[in-house]
Amino acid sequence: MHATIQKPITEILRFIRPGEKVFVVGCNNCAWKCHSGGPDETKAMAERLTRRGVDVVGYTVPGPQGMSLCKLDHTRKVLQQDYAEQTRRADSFLVLGCGQGVHTVIDATDGAMVHPGCDTIFGGETVSESDIQEFCSLCGECVIEYTGGLCPMTLCSKQLLNGPCGGAEKGMCEVDPERPCGWVLIYERLRKLGRLELLDAYQPPKDHAKWSRPRRLEVSPFEATFCSQAGRVTVSNQD
Amino acid sequence: MKITKLFQRGEFVITGEVGPIKGAVSRDWRVSPSCAQEAWHLQDFVHAVNVTDNQSAVMRLGSLAASVGLKQRGIEPIFQLTCRDRNRIALQSDLLTAYSLGIDNVLLLTGDHIQLGDHKSAKPVFDLDSVQLIRMAKGLQAGHDITGHDIENPPDMALGAVVNPNFEPLDLQLLKMRKKIDAGAEFFQTQAVYDDRVVDEFVAKTEKFGRPIQLGVVMLKSPQMGAFMNRNVSGISVPRAWIDEIGSVDKADRKKKAAEMMGRFIARHKDKFQGVHIMPLGWTDVVPEILEHAGISVAAAR
Ligand code: SF4
Ligand code: SF4
Repeated sequence: MHATIQKPITEILRFIRPGEKVFVVGCNNCAWKCHSGGPDETKAMAERLTRRGVDVVGYTVPGPQGMSLCKLDHTRKVLQQDYAEQTRRADSFLVLGCGQGVHTVIDATDGAMVHPGCDTIFGGETVSESDIQEFCSLCGECVIEYTGGLCPMTLCSKQLLNGPCGGAEKGMCEVDPERPCGWVLIYERLRKLGRLELLDAYQPPKDHAKWSRPRRLEVSPFEATFCSQAGRVTVSNQD
Repeated sequence: MKITKLFQRGEFVITGEVGPIKGAVSRDWRVSPSCAQEAWHLQDFVHAVNVTDNQSAVMRLGSLAASVGLKQRGIEPIFQLTCRDRNRIALQSDLLTAYSLGIDNVLLLTGDHIQLGDHKSAKPVFDLDSVQLIRMAKGLQAGHDITGHDIENPPDMALGAVVNPNFEPLDLQLLKMRKKIDAGAEFFQTQAVYDDRVVDEFVAKTEKFGRPIQLGVVMLKSPQMGAFMNRNVSGISVPRAWIDEIGSVDKADRKKKAAEMMGRFIARHKDKFQGVHIMPLGWTDVVPEILEHAGISVAAAR
């Protein structure tokens, strides 16, 4: 999921010009889980803005619970058909969702003015209803087979691939004594699994061309093509 | 001169360390930056002097410029190069530049994280880790860059690396040390060690690694510094006994005491290592005393 946190209302207010008519859009998937843009927060945002004198022409969170704002066809139908009357009057859309959701609203409205209502912070695991943690940095070239599934690009502050730096102190990272050293976690996990030999091999530098922006994925039921600065890579999901 | 030559000759290699100034070098040739003055104090007692690379992620004069400055003043530098601020293009380019400017020794490190320094909002690079950096430097020596392209007139410098004997679990740190050796590290300097047991466990486990290792020691100037290091300096711990002993004398006598303590520590362990790396933190003038207490003849260094 994409973790998001609402921007402070003072910052959002600065985005909106005097007299601007705003339509608020939330997301029923990730932003709902983050309490940054689900149905409750979206309704509340409409009210908070209204209370502060903003002309809110409407609000919605497309689809049932679990529906992502970033699913373009659905969001377009909701904004252009179900809410046609309000969205036609809107000068801009305040999006309570991740940056992908903001862009989805641009596409769904054929290029309307948008405001980001959230900071998009990372892709994470919903560890519990109140705790979302980052375990992958979306690097495009996964190396966690040899680290027991723990990502050194994410859990190590220096993204080291061949073992720890010298800075850990009592198992904690030199950057933050409250957070475990990713390499100590990897080592302890592999030791418990009896698979320490996985760490012996030299790991070459990452291909950062696969981490170039923007990237694209073309999908079909049978194969997918990953497009990045490293080129187009097509992989079949059949035999 | 490559310090690996000294190791090969069986010499006990003594190195010191200076940090480049926060500022530029004066255009007036007669005005030497403080780091050069510190290196001057050291030069009669050590074989070479490490020049740190924006140490602790605090922005300073470049380590390469300072290394070249020492070389011009007749002091053998060990140019420290970290992965924190340079991608693989800059790292290779700096290695070629270093050799072209007369540098014979490099110490290749990961580098302290930006969060430890004075530019916390900077973008951390860490394009390569230290193992990959060493391998890349070895590749340059062999005549090709990291992508395999041939290079003209390959550089030939001694490639050093660091290891932290204080790391827990030690086996994980040694796994990395072994990878550094496989990648081409020719000598090692340890992080500061104060604990006899840490030294002995480390020595027992690395004896067969087949690379010269210099024991790293940092001058303990005061009990406050010991407490500070335990709190703030990553990967180093100072035992109670050291802190108590340096605290047992008046401020005025601390320099003498620190030299004596460090000398005794080196004396106890020198036979287990191929050299010692002394980080005097500005107290460069007592380095001869340290060596005397350690029973290392100063002439040995020159
Ligand atoms: S290696 Fe890359 S893809 Fe794999 S978990 Fe880490 S960041 Fe994600
Ligand atoms: S202490 Fe551990 S997690 Fe932190 S930078 Fe070093 S190796 Fe990475």
